[in-house]
Amino acid sequence: MSTTTPTRAVWSFEAIGTVWSIETDAPLGPGIRRDVETAVAAFDRDWSRFRDDSVVARLAGGGGSAPVPPDAAAMLDVYVELDAATRGAVNPLVGDSLARLGYDARYSLVAQGDPIAAPERWRDIVRWDAGTLAVTAPATIDVGALGKGRLVDLVTGVVSRGIDGGFVVDGGGDLAVRGTPQRIGLEHPYDPRRVIGVVTVADAALCASAVTRRAWGEGLHHVLDARTGVPVRAYAATWAIAPDAMHADALATALFFDGGPELAASWGAHWVRMRTDGRVEWSPGSEAELFT
Amino acid sequence: MIRTTAVPRPVRAGAAFVGVLGMVALAGCAGTTTPAADAEETTPATTAPSSSATTDSGTDTGSVVGSAYTDGTYTAEGSYSTPESVETIEVTITLESDVVTAVEVTGDPQAAESQRYQSQFIGGISDEVVGQLVDDVSVSRVAGSSLTSGGFNKALQTIKSEAAA
Repeated sequence: MSTTTPTRAVWSFEAIGTVWSIETDAPLGPGIRRDVETAVAAFDRDWSRFRDDSVVARLAGGGGSAPVPPDAAAMLDVYVELDAATRGAVNPLVGDSLARLGYDARYSLVAQGDPIAAPERWRDIVRWDAGTLAVTAPATIDVGALGKGRLVDLVTGVVSRGIDGGFVVDGGGDLAVRGTPQRIGLEHPYDPRRVIGVVTVADAALCASAVTRRAWGEGLHHVLDARTGVPVRAYAATWAIAPDAMHADALATALFFDGGPELAASWGAHWVRMRTDGRVEWSPGSEAELFT
Repeated sequence: MIRTTAVPRPVRAGAAFVGVLGMVALAGCAGTTTPAADAEETTPATTAPSSSATTDSGTDTGSVVGSAYTDGTYTAEGSYSTPESVETIEVTITLESDVVTAVEVTGDPQAAESQRYQSQFIGGISDEVVGQLVDDVSVSRVAGSSLTSGGFNKALQTIKSEAAA
């Protein structure tokens, strides 16, 4: 991959199941790095489905409540919009559906049986207010539709408070750009050597999702239709640009379903998505340069 | 596939190109030739009468011996009807050895054309996209599916080796 600004400093680390990098003009000092690590660790401790001691893991055990994590309302409020826009395809209680197909805390990656739908009336089960997050029936919260975007925003906040210049926070497919605009290639989901187009991102976030890499068997990958618990088949990859990464990430998920484009329009966001047959769709007025 | 260079709406422009293809009468040629995937963008069009590109088009079957068309850049203006309006666009084609090496469409067949697609919320739909090699494109980074962590990769490797045993 060619780099237009080869002199910048890059700090890479692994967190929440993917590879992160933060690119800055000058190397980040130890204080900022520590603050980033603290923010990532706190988010993981609240929301990771892949550890026993997280808030969502403890709530899944049989219901119960916990002090509300700081990002709960911000994320769950967007889930309400996602749910409405996709008519139930996106649902924060999809955790058990994912685990059923093998995407569980132990990474067993073997389906345990037929797909199971997520509880349709999740808002009766998940309750949140200023003090408490409650799950009133056995069910597992999975904020995968937008959680990584939220964490990109949190890390972006830490970095922007710590340095003056521009930077890029790349959470492995979900990224935020501050300062110098970045030309970003849209990776071909079936051939990582290729890009299907280029977008320029300036002081905004670009989030991508694809069914091809986080996949572990015939038709088994991490983007499920919550209404059935079955992995999606119509779209292979999505990209969305929004002012913040949480909304871009949410759209990158919603765009696997009908209703995603309408939600993007209501948020004033742009997007590109590739169908599994290789055809590409884009938002009205999209400024992406596509190699069609 | 013909790479259009009309940015930012290359594919919508591509659809428009099809609309006027008959008028510049290159349909037989364009349908049976494969332009170089990495064709350079067209230089500003040197306008030539579109009629000069239309000779013999009716008999062209694609198995061309010798050159049916004179190399060069051709420009034509065309219009086509949509439910709401008549759109006018200008199409420039570069021909080399009967191969269309570049197509440029100017003009913006805006909202009326997009109505033909599924909904007002989708700007357009392309044919299958092959893409370009990352190394051939100037980008600072690439966004796609997120890289998976060591834990996921290790588990996947275990599954694969068990499946192979």
